Amino acid sequence: MTTPLLLGLIAGAILSGTSLLYATLGETIVERSGIVNLGLEGVLLIGASTGFAVTAATGNAWIGLGAAAIAGALANLLFGWLVVSRKANQPASGLALMFFGFGASALIGSRFIGAIIDGLPKWRPSWLADLRWVKSTTLFNYDLLTWVAIPVAIAAWWALFRTRWGLGVRAVGESPVAAYAAGRNPALLQYQALAIGGLLAGVAGAHLSVSLTNTWAEHMTAGRGFIVIALVIFAKWNPLRAIAGALLFGGAEALQLQIQARGSLISPFILEMSPYILTLLILLLWGGSRRLAAPAYLGRTAYAME
Amino acid sequence: MKHKLGIVITAVIVAVFLVVAPVDAQQTRLIIGAVYVGSINDFGYNASFHQALTQVAKDIPGVKLVEVENVPETGESERVMEGMIQQGAKLIFPTSFGYNDSARKVAKRHKDVSFAFAGDGATMRNFGVFFGQTQAAMYPMGVGAGKMTKTNKLGFVIGMPIGYALGNVNAFQLGARSVNPKVKTVVVVTGGWADKAKEAAAANALLDQGCDVVAMHVDSPATVIQTVEARGAMSIGFQSVDARALAPKGWITGIGFTWTPYFKQLANDVIAGRFRGEAVYKGLGQMVAIAPFGASVPADVQQAVNQAATKVAQGFNPFTGPLTDNRGSLVLPPGATVGSDQMGNMSWYVDGVVGKVR
Repeated sequence: MTTPLLLGLIAGAILSGTSLLYATLGETIVERSGIVNLGLEGVLLIGASTGFAVTAATGNAWIGLGAAAIAGALANLLFGWLVVSRKANQPASGLALMFFGFGASALIGSRFIGAIIDGLPKWRPSWLADLRWVKSTTLFNYDLLTWVAIPVAIAAWWALFRTRWGLGVRAVGESPVAAYAAGRNPALLQYQALAIGGLLAGVAGAHLSVSLTNTWAEHMTAGRGFIVIALVIFAKWNPLRAIAGALLFGGAEALQLQIQARGSLISPFILEMSPYILTLLILLLWGGSRRLAAPAYLGRTAYAME
Repeated sequence: MKHKLGIVITAVIVAVFLVVAPVDAQQTRLIIGAVYVGSINDFGYNASFHQALTQVAKDIPGVKLVEVENVPETGESERVMEGMIQQGAKLIFPTSFGYNDSARKVAKRHKDVSFAFAGDGATMRNFGVFFGQTQAAMYPMGVGAGKMTKTNKLGFVIGMPIGYALGNVNAFQLGARSVNPKVKTVVVVTGGWADKAKEAAAANALLDQGCDVVAMHVDSPATVIQTVEARGAMSIGFQSVDARALAPKGWITGIGFTWTPYFKQLANDVIAGRFRGEAVYKGLGQMVAIAPFGASVPADVQQAVNQAATKVAQGFNPFTGPLTDNRGSLVLPPGATVGSDQMGNMSWYVDGVVGKVR
């Protein structure tokens, strides 16, 4: 039985988009505090390899997921030590973190390549499983991370825009000096944002390795860390818009594969480019507009608060 | 404080070098250096070389193996090979196609070191090329898939549409059609040889479209096989015959490389001083083997696969005209064949394959 393109597309978009959404939420929180983490690709890899390695070693994917989250947070805190405490250049430190992530993830994962693991358990409500078109797809057959992805996005939005802590984070991102003058501790808030962002990035990486593929391979994120940085811009630094963004980009990846599986007349080379063409288009259309501006202090280093 | 840190770092570096001391050359007759592009535990391409060389080191007394994994296909591989030669390696296996230029440069500098390159191109006195021909071996795989499918739709995930991959797909479809006239093979290209998440998504897309058997040509078959297994469909393995462990239920069969006999011969040649660089390409029965069948495969299917395999091993070429491509034009007139040496130039899908080359 063949599935209608739209259903296959939605199913694929949700599977591919879950990991993108967690990573986007993490990077959004980090960027709201005024820090650009270009090393996200490396953090995702550390999450993916740690998650897989710990799952293989303990036999429990939940422990693996927890370890991945902690590893992601530690990687981001290391980055924070560089750019917050040592006031190092953010893009340069981010790229260094990325390459560190390449090496560290390869080291962590090397002994576990080829291990066979039981990934996160999937669960589909039985009344949905019997629907005609659902039965033959992955629709609604999700692990916990996919089921709670949208609630997590809402929670991130609520934390950023409805709590005193979120106000502080956003204030630091706009003007660390003003936040400091108002009695907030910019460095502490940035560390907190980085830790939470790292937790989410670790979870995003682990979703790839212990749920979506149940394998670990070097560089398995294949550039998703950079797509996420573009996604944060697409989402205008808003966790709720990130939901649509992650589905759109997950959908772009799913679309090219679904189209091929249906037998298209479009060159696979053109289809392959589609997610990246989308990225370029968004940066082109969104770029330079003041209304959609990033946090004012994004990527800059604040001095004169000691 | 800073000085102390420096001393500690220096001490650690020195200690590392002491631990990684040169291989003891006393009772060693031959040191083999192997350069891998990925990990030796990938259930795939790299594992096939590692297992064969490990066997060679075990079977021939005095052979030692120096392996380096995850070597990028850049100038870095040149340094890795130079390092192996400094450790005394006299036979080097650059096992990935991208090492071509680097390996040839090193071979020209070290005429006393023999090279066996998994790829193609000109040979030199100390530089041989070899590879296993998987394309014809995919024909019996297609026979198995064509007999097992219930939906008459087979899926095939490939990394990139290069000639060798197209050959695998085409032989698979030809084999399947030989036992099932209604069968089609749907191809999905992921755009890379190791993008795991995309491989999983590609396998899901194929299953969504009603394929119930999925084959693949990517570096490691693990992701596709596990994704297919989790959704209760069947798979045909590639690269390593051990991949069966990944799919207790849906495994039909698969092909893998068996390099051991050839590598043993090379090692003995180097020890005896009679190595000469040659181009050696062997298919089913020599460098390529069929994996054990899965538990759910009925005896008549096993028999049909084995018969087709024997036919191929005895010289049957699936690429014998007349053959029409999937756009309806005649690509091979009656009697014409595509030899395995022309496989890299293949640029069409045979009739019954759903896909577009470029």
